Amino acid sequence: MSDILGRRRFLSSAVLGTTATVVAATTIGAVAPDAIADPKLDVEAGAPDPNFVEGRITGIVGGLLMVTGSDRTINQIHLTKATSVWKLRPTTSDAAKVGDGLYARGVRMPDGTLAADAIWLNIVNLQVHITSIGRSAMHLDHHGDRIVGHVVAGTTAAVYNSTPAVSDLSLLQVGKHAQIIGAWRPDTNEVDIATVYAAA
Amino acid sequence: MIESLASTQQAVVGVVLVWASWFKLFYRNAPTAARRSALKKVVGEERVVGAYRTVGVVEAVVGLLLLAPPAIALEAYAAAALSLGMLGYLGFAKWRAPDSSCGCLGDKHTPVRGRGFARAGLLLVLSVLGAQATASWLERPLATAGLLVVELAAIVALSPELDHRWLLPLRRWRVRVSHPLGNRPMEVPLESSVQQLWKSPAYESVVRQLSSDLLDHWDEGEWRLLTYAARTPDGQMTAVFAVPRLDYRPADVRLALVPADEEALV
Repeated sequence: MSDILGRRRFLSSAVLGTTATVVAATTIGAVAPDAIADPKLDVEAGAPDPNFVEGRITGIVGGLLMVTGSDRTINQIHLTKATSVWKLRPTTSDAAKVGDGLYARGVRMPDGTLAADAIWLNIVNLQVHITSIGRSAMHLDHHGDRIVGHVVAGTTAAVYNSTPAVSDLSLLQVGKHAQIIGAWRPDTNEVDIATVYAAA
Repeated sequence: MIESLASTQQAVVGVVLVWASWFKLFYRNAPTAARRSALKKVVGEERVVGAYRTVGVVEAVVGLLLLAPPAIALEAYAAAALSLGMLGYLGFAKWRAPDSSCGCLGDKHTPVRGRGFARAGLLLVLSVLGAQATASWLERPLATAGLLVVELAAIVALSPELDHRWLLPLRRWRVRVSHPLGNRPMEVPLESSVQQLWKSPAYESVVRQLSSDLLDHWDEGEWRLLTYAARTPDGQMTAVFAVPRLDYRPADVRLALVPADEEALV
């Protein structure tokens, strides 16, 4: 933990300039936007993108995630310090558990494994109707299926009419349509809500 | 007692059947509801409206016979047969067309679920009960009316296509009186800072070199710090953004690129 705090302190000082001794921190202006071309997309139409993996984690062996895709392909995914991990919120690689659903983007290594740049665990994007609202959860209708959407204190945010996100959920209405980005609780019909998009 | 209960059941089933047929025969949007229903899978697209109306006519005939005196067991058995057919239809719908509507009592699109089965089952039980009747319900109008209201309420409660008429307004009213999520603490959600970041010139200048999604975030006074991994010509970097936490000032977002391996300096 002190590692993380020390690292944060260092990075804070790098960007806010509270100490003037950060070496090699490049400030804005020094970076040429076109220095690196976009990675070439040489995937044929219809062919699977080699730099993307979806599926569920079926095993974790020493920092390597074994993932079985929905088409039964098996992939191995490396996580590094530079891999972002999302599970309801940005988190660390130890949040990955066997059974989690996963999307990963990264770079395919010569040995066939994927070095992940970013993974998203259990992320879902649902078009729903709000059928009722409770103190800690909303009941949602997703094409006739019932889903429980848990409201997570400090995390759940709402975007009304495409305006900036707020923590105020009091404008949500029963019977209205909403879009939910959240984290599925594996093998249930429940999700933890990250962001709910609605009209107000 | 059983006898009086039985005659009431004839009235209940009769009312439900007449209601269902009225919807199928006279409702403006009935053809659309027919096309959305699982009946389309049974008889095909061209014949679905005709079949839907035919079902409506059969329901009307049986319903009216049940309501009109005298009480004949045969009428109730006809209703029981209809309910059985209904159960079969629901089973087919669940099996072959799980996303299509039932089209039973209203035009709201509601896929077949447990409540639909419960309703058809209840109608079947009531129809069989009704077959025990020997006298018409008209001979006991008051007792019948009371039981009729209770049982119709049960039928309505088991009809998902009618939820928008009573259940949603009830819940809407409750949320209006006191919103269950109304008194959460106000804070600036992470999502809002990320949205501001996306609009900032600092982010635009490096976005093509960012390789990861959001790595870490923390608050530092007025600032919220967000880090991303970046792949630059000079090697792996960590992009650190400082976003104004309490205001929307995307132009003020600050950026530093720190070589990833130098973070060990701390």
